[in-house]
Amino acid sequence: MATAELCDLGIGELGRRYRARGLSPVDVAAAHLARIEQVDKTLSSFLTVTPDRALADARAAEVAIRRGDAGPLAGVPVAYKDLYATRGVRTTAGSALLADWVPDHDAACVSRLQQAGMVMLGKLTTHEFAFGIQFPGHRFLPARNPWDLDHIPGGSSSGSGAALAAGLTVGALGSDTGGSIRGPAAFCGIVGLKPTSGRVSRAGVVTLSWTLDHTGPMARTVEDCALMLQALAGHDPADPASSREQPVPDYAAGLGSGVRGLRVGVPREYFFHDVKPEVADAFESAMGTLRRLGAEVRDVRIPSIWAAPAFMVIMLTEAFAYHARDLRERPELYGEVVREKLMAGALFTGDEYVQAQRLRARLREDMHRVLGDVDVLATPTTPGTAPAFSAVLDPNFPFARSNMAPFNMAGLPALALPCGFAPSGLPISLQLAGRPFDEATVLRAGHAYEQATEWHRRRPPI
Amino acid sequence: MSTAPPELTLDEVRDRIRVAGLPIPEERLALIHSLLRDALRPIRALDTRDAQTLEPAPTFDAAATINRHGHR
Repeated sequence: MATAELCDLGIGELGRRYRARGLSPVDVAAAHLARIEQVDKTLSSFLTVTPDRALADARAAEVAIRRGDAGPLAGVPVAYKDLYATRGVRTTAGSALLADWVPDHDAACVSRLQQAGMVMLGKLTTHEFAFGIQFPGHRFLPARNPWDLDHIPGGSSSGSGAALAAGLTVGALGSDTGGSIRGPAAFCGIVGLKPTSGRVSRAGVVTLSWTLDHTGPMARTVEDCALMLQALAGHDPADPASSREQPVPDYAAGLGSGVRGLRVGVPREYFFHDVKPEVADAFESAMGTLRRLGAEVRDVRIPSIWAAPAFMVIMLTEAFAYHARDLRERPELYGEVVREKLMAGALFTGDEYVQAQRLRARLREDMHRVLGDVDVLATPTTPGTAPAFSAVLDPNFPFARSNMAPFNMAGLPALALPCGFAPSGLPISLQLAGRPFDEATVLRAGHAYEQATEWHRRRPPI
Repeated sequence: MSTAPPELTLDEVRDRIRVAGLPIPEERLALIHSLLRDALRPIRALDTRDAQTLEPAPTFDAAATINRHGHR
């Protein structure tokens, strides 16, 4: 089998072939390493490649598979956003401040995927401290969008999105404070899941904003995200916000149950502001597909959605709180624009931060109430397709209104998956969000849509 | 939001930067102003007496039948 074909297989297919002895995890790891060597000079999606570790992991997985006690992730290649601590492997958070940091521990998510037998290929490019889109002054090479190298892959999990779309890994981890899993998923035509707040541990992941940060899986299909979530989910005493009480269901078991009778709510207010026509068309077409599959799609209203921009008060204030000392003592180690935007977090007053949290509580309650009447919410993930580097590298490029941040505010699970392509050839994405800890329904809806369409099968010309 | 609340002005941003003692260059003021103005718009529209709940982060309790705000 050719390298490109090997690197296009999903988790389920890899597992079937491993168990049938038709394929070796060592060969699959070697194929991915070769493809990274071949393609990533152009993409810059990897900051660090760990070939020795990958081959050692693959050999261990092969032994486990032959013993017959391996799970579905055994031998599956994975790479980590360089925000996740990896023992013995440099972890930069995309910052000159941490350029030489080699952690003596693994992030909880890294440990869990390692225990599940995944094969670590390396560390993926991230925006500086997981902040923003691509700002000028960043000291690391930016990852590029495999669909069009002149466009950004989204961020801050930029390398994760680019590497998955280009077939350089099968799974990846991202982090999502205001859309950093779902944005790159949207711009790169892949799938990303921001789980419920407290579902997946954040321990060992460099923070951007404590109360908004989430960790989660990224892959090329909904099923692959579900399989990774299975290994990632569950209580972790090392993360103070980790849920103790919620049992972890079998996410893959219900995937194929379809959407007949599922109630899908479309919140028109806020989420359709400035949406480009091609995105609106793709979204409405996706709703038509869900209807044909038996879902009941209707408009809903979230009364306090106007409060969503208060997200920025919380995010910037908490980010400044984390960075205050380094910003004052070592400002030259930050990129110039990210430094100024982090400093903006010092310009809010204490009462403004508290009011923002109050508005957040109100927004969360309104969303819960709406999700009493419908099972999932559907919106465009982003109002447009991936912008060009030439646009975002203008220091005055503004933050766009985010369709993703409201779900960080509310802590609800939200999935981004491909739902079309613009005339430019760039991907368009659908966002599905659900009730707290009901990732299973969100994944089921996403899988049903995915299986009824072909968008996820398209590959970039790289 | 029945009446339009006062929006954050450029001069207020200048004052806040001066008080914070931060080196934000003049050419970036417009961007910082728009960032803060948009973020603060819902807060300036808020009647704080109406907002009774405050949580530092989302927390969910599977065992609870009534949440801490009294909703079933």
